[in-house]
Amino acid sequence: MKISKFKLALYGKYLFLIIISFLSIFPLFWMFVSATNASVDVLAGTLLPGVQLKENLTKLLANTNLLRALWNSFKYAAAATILSLFVSSLAGYGFEIYHDKGKDILMNILLLSMMVPFAVIMVPLYMMFGNANLLNSTAGFVLPTISTAFLIFLFRQSSRNFPREIIEAARLEGLTEFGIFFRMYIPVMKSTYAAAAVITFMNAWNNYLWPLIIMQKPEAQTMPLLISNLTSGYVIDYGVLMLAVAISVIPTILIFLALQKNFAEGIVGSAK
Amino acid sequence: MKKKLAVLFLINILIFAFSGLTAAQSGDQVTLTVWCWDPSFNIYAMEEAAKLYRDINPDVTIKVEETAWEDIQTRLTTALSANQAATLPDIILMQDNALIKNVSTFPDAFYDLTNSAIDFSKFADYKIALTTHNGKNYGVPFDNGAAINAMRVDVLEEAGYTIDDFTDITWQEFIEKGADVRKKTGKPLLSVIAGQPDLLMVMLQSAGTWLFNDAGEVNIANNDVLKEIVDIYVELVDKGIMVQVNDWDQYISSFNSGTVAGTINGCWIIGSIVPQKSQAGDWRITNIPRLASVDGSVNYSNQGGSSWMVMANSKHPQIAADFLNKTFAGSIELYETILPSSGALATYLPAGDSEVYNMPQPFFGGQKIYSEITDYAAQVPQVNYGVYNYEARDAVGAAITKIINGQDVDKALQEAEETVKFLMW
Amino acid sequence: MPKINFFKKNSHSKSRQKQKIGISRKQNLIGWAFIIPGAILIFLFYFYPIGKSFFLSLQGGAGLNLRFAGLANYKRLISDSLFTQSLFNVCIYLLIQVPIMITLALILAGLLNDQQIKFRSFFRTAIFLPCATSLVSYAIIFRSMFALDGFVNTILLNLNLIANPINWIGQPWTARLLIVLGLTWRWTGYNMIFYLAGLQNIDPAIYEAAKIDGASAFDRLTKITIPMLKPIILLTTIMSTNGTLQIFDETKNLTNGGPANATLSVSQYIYRLSFEYVPRFGYAAAIAFVVFILVAVLAMLQVKVGDKR
Repeated sequence: MKISKFKLALYGKYLFLIIISFLSIFPLFWMFVSATNASVDVLAGTLLPGVQLKENLTKLLANTNLLRALWNSFKYAAAATILSLFVSSLAGYGFEIYHDKGKDILMNILLLSMMVPFAVIMVPLYMMFGNANLLNSTAGFVLPTISTAFLIFLFRQSSRNFPREIIEAARLEGLTEFGIFFRMYIPVMKSTYAAAAVITFMNAWNNYLWPLIIMQKPEAQTMPLLISNLTSGYVIDYGVLMLAVAISVIPTILIFLALQKNFAEGIVGSAK
Repeated sequence: MKKKLAVLFLINILIFAFSGLTAAQSGDQVTLTVWCWDPSFNIYAMEEAAKLYRDINPDVTIKVEETAWEDIQTRLTTALSANQAATLPDIILMQDNALIKNVSTFPDAFYDLTNSAIDFSKFADYKIALTTHNGKNYGVPFDNGAAINAMRVDVLEEAGYTIDDFTDITWQEFIEKGADVRKKTGKPLLSVIAGQPDLLMVMLQSAGTWLFNDAGEVNIANNDVLKEIVDIYVELVDKGIMVQVNDWDQYISSFNSGTVAGTINGCWIIGSIVPQKSQAGDWRITNIPRLASVDGSVNYSNQGGSSWMVMANSKHPQIAADFLNKTFAGSIELYETILPSSGALATYLPAGDSEVYNMPQPFFGGQKIYSEITDYAAQVPQVNYGVYNYEARDAVGAAITKIINGQDVDKALQEAEETVKFLMW
Repeated sequence: MPKINFFKKNSHSKSRQKQKIGISRKQNLIGWAFIIPGAILIFLFYFYPIGKSFFLSLQGGAGLNLRFAGLANYKRLISDSLFTQSLFNVCIYLLIQVPIMITLALILAGLLNDQQIKFRSFFRTAIFLPCATSLVSYAIIFRSMFALDGFVNTILLNLNLIANPINWIGQPWTARLLIVLGLTWRWTGYNMIFYLAGLQNIDPAIYEAAKIDGASAFDRLTKITIPMLKPIILLTTIMSTNGTLQIFDETKNLTNGGPANATLSVSQYIYRLSFEYVPRFGYAAAIAFVVFILVAVLAMLQVKVGDKR
């Protein structure tokens, strides 16, 4: 009797997960299906794969510089991810491990920085980069995305469960404070790094307003701007559009798949 | 003293030499950057114009950078507000409904084309009205937004009508016949996006009125023409002659799928009708219904459209103006080239007489739609969209939603007027 | 806190504490060294422009034609019906959506951290995918599913749950419900990732010990998982509060603020004032600072409640 109750609960859990997964995947499935259909069929809501994939791809490659946009997006997202993970995890670690009243207050102040909509600070920021002669430069693109209060806060909060014994032991072994960070903290916290990497990459990849104004040369066009162009004509080819958006989400999915095992391995597994 | 003179002399020579140098450079290679959107339409036209101009002035290269309209507006506003106009291109394509707003907000940002050689009389009057601010011309009109009533004649035939029954009619006649078609075939004649007042504004312009009066004051709450238009709109919906959909893709799909037997919009909507090849031969176009009770109301109007502008910050504004003059404002050949493959209809009136514009179109049962549309364009009443056009558009869109949901017309329009007045301070 | 301790101890035995002062001071300085690069970048690229836009909020007028107006922009806000409407809308989203999403994300993270469940990596990926899905395609499918003759109405009609199709997008409250659904759909998996990552930092030995002590699954959730995840829950609550009060993408793409501004968000109104209407950056900035104060107060309350060490 007890076993069947347990089984029942387990089946309930599976059912719940299956329903949620279905709801989650469905629009993505539709997007990939639509990429293989003609515009008229996409609008009719076809759920069956079509035969237009090659034609859509030909049109997409003819009308846009897809590879350049993919490469640009990848380049900026990768640079932003690596730099911001490094800078933000350093700060988050500093805020938590060496916390005192002053640092706690500073953390709270930093949090305020994300509470103003970007549209409002866009013009002053643009003016600043214009005066510094950094318009249309990679530095101009990446600089404001390196340090975000969100990531710092994420690392600070995650560090709370970081075992202090590890730090004490490492200090006794003569490791420097920075040595502890690099040799002990980073490996142990790899699940947090994985989550931060996925999220930061995705945000940088989808970033729209800032690249739009800071990178005005077509050579620097990113995927979101390419997609914006595809939706701007008098006649929108929905098959081509869906193919472009489908291609644009693949990198984020790949990054997630590559890093997702870190969301399953416990702290013991990673400390080894 | 002698030394000073010598130094001055030297400086003079230097300045002279440098100015000679820069003059020589500007006679050399010039690159004009253009921002516009839509590869199959505006960009294509611009590239053809560039080819044409190469024969006239081989030193000029046109570099087209594809940029969506909303993106152009965002970059424009940001750069001009931040005093970084140098990053902007030489020529931009501007939506007509935003042109006066931008010119009046950033008075020094756009190059005044009034005294260039461009002959503005060759364009439809209403387009010139939309690109003129304080007596100065700021744009070369390009794409045509003349309103058309596109209909499926196979559906009309089923109900015993022809396209002629819907030509030169009033809205009252349209409603009578539309109700009949609906009864006999089950199909509505129109679809609109709920909350978007485009159709209302098409009707307004056909009566020569707008949401602002000539003095630029809001004209919503006490606008009798608008009230009559709203009544027609509500009647169209109530009688099932017009269905409301949620967004642009559902709007396109409503006639592509054959759920709806027609549409009224700017003539550029043709581009979204013709991809549905199974309906080839079934479509015709005609002019739009007029308002019977309003003096001066005609069967012609406009929806959308855009114009080329030269930026004041351009290093070669005269060359840019000359380029536009010799191509978009002076070359029938250009319009003949771009029409067949793109369906890019212009408001350059002389082009309407060309042979290409008189070609029968099989998708429309052999109708010569392009010359017809050019005729329509010449008869569109002039209105001034005004500086606060977007504010008014949103407010009226909200009002029509409330009215359809049952709110009193006067109250809803009063609220809309107050909202726009509030935003105009 | 540590500083007070060290002064107290200092008075007792000087020689032994001297060493500790050194380390503590040094560690304190090293702590700042960790923080400084990130903090400087935030001050430079966020607070400096924020400060500038605050000065902008004290200026009236349109476009480049600005002049000092004191608090006039802020006074104007009170009588701005679009502002009050949009503020009301985002508060509704916040009250309904954030609790639902956080709870759902926690439950999902708990389930997917359970070794009994098979295919966890599949479920994990599937539930994460919505936030990676392009807004363009998700908006199109959402709107067509909730159209008058759409999928949702068809199902509800066939199940005899409703007699007439519901005009989801055309009515104020159903449209707001759609925004809440859209937000939850897109961001639940996103929040779940942080919980999953946080759960990996909890020593499994704690759970083993609890099991041996005979703690039920529910006990383990409320006595171990939630307390241990508290810092992360605080993080996601602050992020979601902030994100929802600043919501832009969903209202622009799903309903475009309609019907009749019933779903308009504050950020969308700010965007309209900046880039669609005659640009009024000063007024837009004033609106932003009112929301800023609101978010800041809520976040500080959340920190007060949730950030005890």
